[in-house]
Amino acid sequence: MSKGIFNLKTFGLAAAILIALAFLPPVLPRFYIYILAVIFVTALLAMSLNMVVGHGGLFQFHHGAFYGVGAYTAGLMLTKTSLPAWMGLVAGPFAAALVGLLIGVFCVRLTRLYFGMLQISLGSLIWAIAFRWYSLTGGDDGIHGIPLPSLISSSTGAYYFCLILLAVCLFVLYLIFKSPFGATLLAIRDNPERCEAIGINVRRHQLIAIVIATFFAGIAGVLFVVVEGSVFPDLLFWVFSLEVFIMCLLGGWFTFAGPIFGAAIMVSLRTFVGTYTEYWTLILGIMLILLIFFLPEGVWGYLLEKLGPQKRDLHKETK
Amino acid sequence: MLRVEGLHKSFEDFKAVSDAHLTVEAGQMVAVIGPNGAGKTTLFNLITGQLKPDRGRIIFNNEDIGRLPPYEICRRGIARSFQIANIFPRLTVFRNVQVSVLSQQRKSIRMFRPARTMAVEETRNILEKVGLTDKGDTIAGALAHGDQRILEIAIALGNNPQLLVLDEPTAGMSAEETGATMALIRRLADEQGLTVLFCEHDMELVFNVAQSIMVMHQGMTILQAGPEIVHNSRQVQECYLGGA
Amino acid sequence: MDLIQTITLPALGSHLLVGLSRAMILFVVTSGMSFVLGVLRVPNVAHGSLYMIGAFAAFSISHLFGGGSIGFWLALILSPFVVAAVSLIAERSLFCHLYEREHLMLLLFTFALMLILGDLVKMVWGADYRSIMAPEFFRGSVTLFQGPFPRYNLFLLVVGPLVAVGLWLFSNRTKIGKIARAAAVDREMVGAIGINVSWVFAFAFVLGCFLAGLGGALVSPMVSITIGMDHDIIMEAFLIVTIGGLGNMWGAMVGSLIFGITQSFGVLLLPQFAIVFPYLAVVIILIWRPTGLLKSVW
Repeated sequence: MSKGIFNLKTFGLAAAILIALAFLPPVLPRFYIYILAVIFVTALLAMSLNMVVGHGGLFQFHHGAFYGVGAYTAGLMLTKTSLPAWMGLVAGPFAAALVGLLIGVFCVRLTRLYFGMLQISLGSLIWAIAFRWYSLTGGDDGIHGIPLPSLISSSTGAYYFCLILLAVCLFVLYLIFKSPFGATLLAIRDNPERCEAIGINVRRHQLIAIVIATFFAGIAGVLFVVVEGSVFPDLLFWVFSLEVFIMCLLGGWFTFAGPIFGAAIMVSLRTFVGTYTEYWTLILGIMLILLIFFLPEGVWGYLLEKLGPQKRDLHKETK
Repeated sequence: MLRVEGLHKSFEDFKAVSDAHLTVEAGQMVAVIGPNGAGKTTLFNLITGQLKPDRGRIIFNNEDIGRLPPYEICRRGIARSFQIANIFPRLTVFRNVQVSVLSQQRKSIRMFRPARTMAVEETRNILEKVGLTDKGDTIAGALAHGDQRILEIAIALGNNPQLLVLDEPTAGMSAEETGATMALIRRLADEQGLTVLFCEHDMELVFNVAQSIMVMHQGMTILQAGPEIVHNSRQVQECYLGGA
Repeated sequence: MDLIQTITLPALGSHLLVGLSRAMILFVVTSGMSFVLGVLRVPNVAHGSLYMIGAFAAFSISHLFGGGSIGFWLALILSPFVVAAVSLIAERSLFCHLYEREHLMLLLFTFALMLILGDLVKMVWGADYRSIMAPEFFRGSVTLFQGPFPRYNLFLLVVGPLVAVGLWLFSNRTKIGKIARAAAVDREMVGAIGINVSWVFAFAFVLGCFLAGLGGALVSPMVSITIGMDHDIIMEAFLIVTIGGLGNMWGAMVGSLIFGITQSFGVLLLPQFAIVFPYLAVVIILIWRPTGLLKSVW
């Protein structure tokens, strides 16, 4: 058996990738650096969603609401208050987690579909308020030209900021995944009733998972502000949340790292397909259908299965 | 240890359990028998908290547990296995049991230590006792039916219970497997001083193993007594031969 | 001060009526969604897209026939069938193969369908605003509550309940309707007595989409027909169906009424935030009664 928390091989691979990514900015054109930064942000968002969906089995249909709350909190604090920038950035995830807790408390009382529907309702309320409160949030236009500390306002600065935060967050998420809490979540995903019968307070665990996941979504939201310098109500719109859901599915939601691939593929495709045609949504829809029919375990999930049946957790669905 | 008094439970118009009584003494093996639909599973669901009684009391170690949620009941020392294999199909056998042990150790919320290093001894012990050691890394969903039932029991054991409640532990098993499973249960009860409450269809099986038998019919307790008395009881014979 | 002055009885009355007529459109659309939800146990995310296709189809059909009265009536009658045909194609070619899978997959399929149909509409009709005129008879308004009330809205106030009654009769009095209701509650049993469950689902899905198309056709003279319609309506439909009780047609009616009326009163009280009122109502209802006001079908 391997020593320490990590499988040395995995750790080594991750470190290598990290180092490789760190050397990219001087080499690539600015546009690609920007896209990579967007991928980092989106990957973090997808990973945070997967904690509750892929590993927890909850129908978190409106994860984008928390992402948006994090982004708007940071955006508003940076533009409307004269508090130091770092406060705005730090406040984002806490605001998101708070909203996550509030919404979560009501949603975990319910099962499956109802959970999802209630979350969509509550999240949509937030969207509706942001959309209409023109004086505060800029309504449909959003907020632009958000002042950022010079260290992170440049393209390269934003890139490194996102990369470092992504790496740290992934590390934490991995620890959680491998911990008893993570194992318990997986068990809850498989069979919540049985968990209750073995002494697990399922709701409390789900709520904790939601708070953690929304905290990370909030971090992703703050990173969005750093990369784009703006906020839009689209982040809070439900359709976007479903796109993030698809990223998890695309990558493989029963794996740990799957959503990263899902995010990377989606962002890349969207950017490059977008230059050829305006019908990206159509392509996305077709992709999703292909996924549902042929690759429900996701790209990464499929690869893992191919590479070896030593993987512990199954990628198959149960009814 | 466990006392059920005057329990009632109805679903809309259907009286699943009416006026049920049961007494379980520490260290005993108690069986609940009765024809299909007699209310045995409902009774068990009431005891372990999946259902709440309409009327009546369930006393465990001098505490009324009737209104508690399942996880609280489990924490007080009652563990349960289900009639239909209720395992964690996507996790390995080892993980299935480990999650249970971790729950019992109140470590299910620990986030910053790897699960791989925790509760390993206890989990291995349990797997050894039930004979599933060599299947530790198999995905639970891929196990044969009989093994899944044994895993059911193993998961319940993970909670280190005082009272083990088994709902038809041998359902769907072959004659061999049934014998082996009952022997296993007997052995576990003796070794660990467990109290076992189980329900079964098969009367022959029950008479060899249980010290006290409670007979249910149409949701009611007909009688509870030692095997001899139950075996010879007119009432019981009528229920099985004459009744529904 | 302005607020108190605006809340006069006539103002209340006329806003109530506007809310009611809007509610009728919502009802026609959400009853379809509720029906599908009840039988297939999956919320059809593409329902809004089909509504949008209904509106665009009404536009095209009406223009095909000269744009006048005849055009309108033909559009109203034919567009739901066009939409039903589209849904049947989607269902028989792809959707029906998923019935054995996890419900989540079905939901994601409907999401994919929404994405695809959305762009298809953009391809066929383009991104411009379209509009259609109601027939002569429905133009103009009558004076109700000291204010003008569009005649077309009166028409809606009649059509809504008609659809409700029709749907109710269908579910409870026809054989197919009863089978569909039975399948909603216990699909295995229905299958076990020899009925082809897949066809029951197909039928339910197509009927639901037919209603979505009808809703789109009905709304077409009232709004600008454009490509964002699907997103707007699906959000509202989801919420209505949730507060009404999943799968419950009367729930859809109740939900639609609540939604339509609260939005209308919102316009009266706080026009800038009118859109927030129905969402707030939904939130309050769901916190109080998380599973909806009326009983869900399952």
